[in-house]
Amino acid sequence: MTGTPLLEVENLTVTFPGRNGPFRAVDGVSFRLAPGESLVIAGESGSGKSMLCRALMNIQPDPAKVGADRLEWQGRSLKGLDEREWRQLRGGEIAMIFQDPTAALNPLLSVGRQIIDAVLAHRQCSREEARARAIEVMGLAGLPEPEHRLSSYPSELSGGMRQRVAIALALSAGPKLIIADEATTNLDVSIQAQIVTLLKRLRKELGMGLIFVTHDLDLAAEVGGRLMVMYASQPVETGAVVDVLRDPCHPYTRGLLRSAPTLHSSRDTPLRPIPGQTPKPGTIGTGAPFRDRCPVPVAGVCEIRRAEWTEAGPGHRVACNRFALEGRAGLP
Amino acid sequence: MTAPVLEASAIGKVFTGRREGKIHHHHALRQVSASLSEGEILGIVGESGSGKTTLSRIMIGIESASSGEIAFRGTPVRRQADWRALRRQVQYVFQDPFTALCPTMRIGKALAEPLAIHGICPTSERQQRVAQMLEMVGLHPDIAGRLPAQLSGGQRQRVNLARALMLEPQVLICDEIVSGLDVSVQAQVLALLVELQKKLGLSLIFISHDLRVIRYLCDRVLVMHLGEVVEQGATEQVFDAPSHNYTRALLAAIPDRNRVTDTPI
Repeated sequence: MTGTPLLEVENLTVTFPGRNGPFRAVDGVSFRLAPGESLVIAGESGSGKSMLCRALMNIQPDPAKVGADRLEWQGRSLKGLDEREWRQLRGGEIAMIFQDPTAALNPLLSVGRQIIDAVLAHRQCSREEARARAIEVMGLAGLPEPEHRLSSYPSELSGGMRQRVAIALALSAGPKLIIADEATTNLDVSIQAQIVTLLKRLRKELGMGLIFVTHDLDLAAEVGGRLMVMYASQPVETGAVVDVLRDPCHPYTRGLLRSAPTLHSSRDTPLRPIPGQTPKPGTIGTGAPFRDRCPVPVAGVCEIRRAEWTEAGPGHRVACNRFALEGRAGLP
Repeated sequence: MTAPVLEASAIGKVFTGRREGKIHHHHALRQVSASLSEGEILGIVGESGSGKTTLSRIMIGIESASSGEIAFRGTPVRRQADWRALRRQVQYVFQDPFTALCPTMRIGKALAEPLAIHGICPTSERQQRVAQMLEMVGLHPDIAGRLPAQLSGGQRQRVNLARALMLEPQVLICDEIVSGLDVSVQAQVLALLVELQKKLGLSLIFISHDLRVIRYLCDRVLVMHLGEVVEQGATEQVFDAPSHNYTRALLAAIPDRNRVTDTPI
């Protein structure tokens, strides 16, 4: 990899003080992201993917503690940054698009006012210049007739348009990294496709980094780049999206792919649900997170310790005790 | 050919409201016809605002149609008594498993309520019926003593299914019942639905915006767009050889893992 990466994370954890002792909502996440690259984080509810995003923006809920062996933004450590410095970074260099655009926008202010305020918060410029920038980013976000939309209120816009406003807001200060947390989940499929195309285009044209969080592995395929699959607060498999989806090597990734219908499945080839439920936070202990639902746990090992990373191919790594022992032959 | 179990003929629905101070008529449905045959799973697919939920609500009488008619087994449903009779045979499962159950009512009571309302099954036997039904949807009978907040999303959706099945209906209308669930749990509920449909010989209307789920589950599919049916036919035919441009656009927008062409960076 050439040049300084945008974001470098090593062994990031988010710890909550639980009733029965502290537990980790995010446990052992490492990755590096260069300009123009994308990282898709996939997992079900409770996997820790949203908490990870919040930790990267330093907006985790109050009792949570973020720890990391290394947490660097463009080569500069983020550990020990004070709130004033965070405020410059957050929204300025790293921007986030949330799942629910209705909750992310102020219902009492016109969208133009909100975007202009965001520009003024991060740039030394006149109101006129901020207004021009607002129109520019609204156009980038694919809002038709941006100068007419400036005076619209969020309630006057459809869900898809509101999400575009949220994207415009995220783009307003010219960030180097965008974090999209289930940003298309509540939208219709055709709008979802448009938003994904838009984010990919911005990544290419503006060289932005993209962290895209989703529960939909098919959507991960459309976004492309690298993929990190998370389960019960831990990353379990990581690699290029193409490699992981064509050759999934963790029993959980395999189970997830088999339980989701595709455009080509029918009742003749029944879905194979993963039995059981995701474990409650704080109940995993030191063992492998997926052991209770796994069809091929390693007896005597998975209960006690989680797996080390095993190489499954170039840049493709799996944390699974079974895979470490037997490779692909041991997979369900 | 026998008459369809449930049939909607030329349904129109106009909602009247105000927009910018003026009275505004919104045509939610225009001349929509749909029929459900015995033992079939009919999928209704469309984006938000397409009218799929409005149509299904009209089919069970929660909403009244502005024009057109609903028929159950060939007989038009017109009077209140007809609707009450229909609602014993046709049950509705709602989208949101969190709001569909009363938060302060224990599961056992919620499940017994349909029996009480329709005055069937002696009180002494109701709890036994509840236990049987919980087992049928793959839940432990002990769940009867719990409150909805003590259950996961998947468990709640199973409870909603169980409640709809208490009256032994012939038709089940499922409105986006797996949309809010995680993928692994969604597969469990879909598998359960297929199993129940076979075991009980149910006819099913399955509403979803997710074409992947529709493809998996349904025998026939109806594509709705802006209050109109733009295409209908056997699932395979609609998916493999869509005839309407809107259906084609909808299919093209579905994310598909087999379409990955992206060069990894």
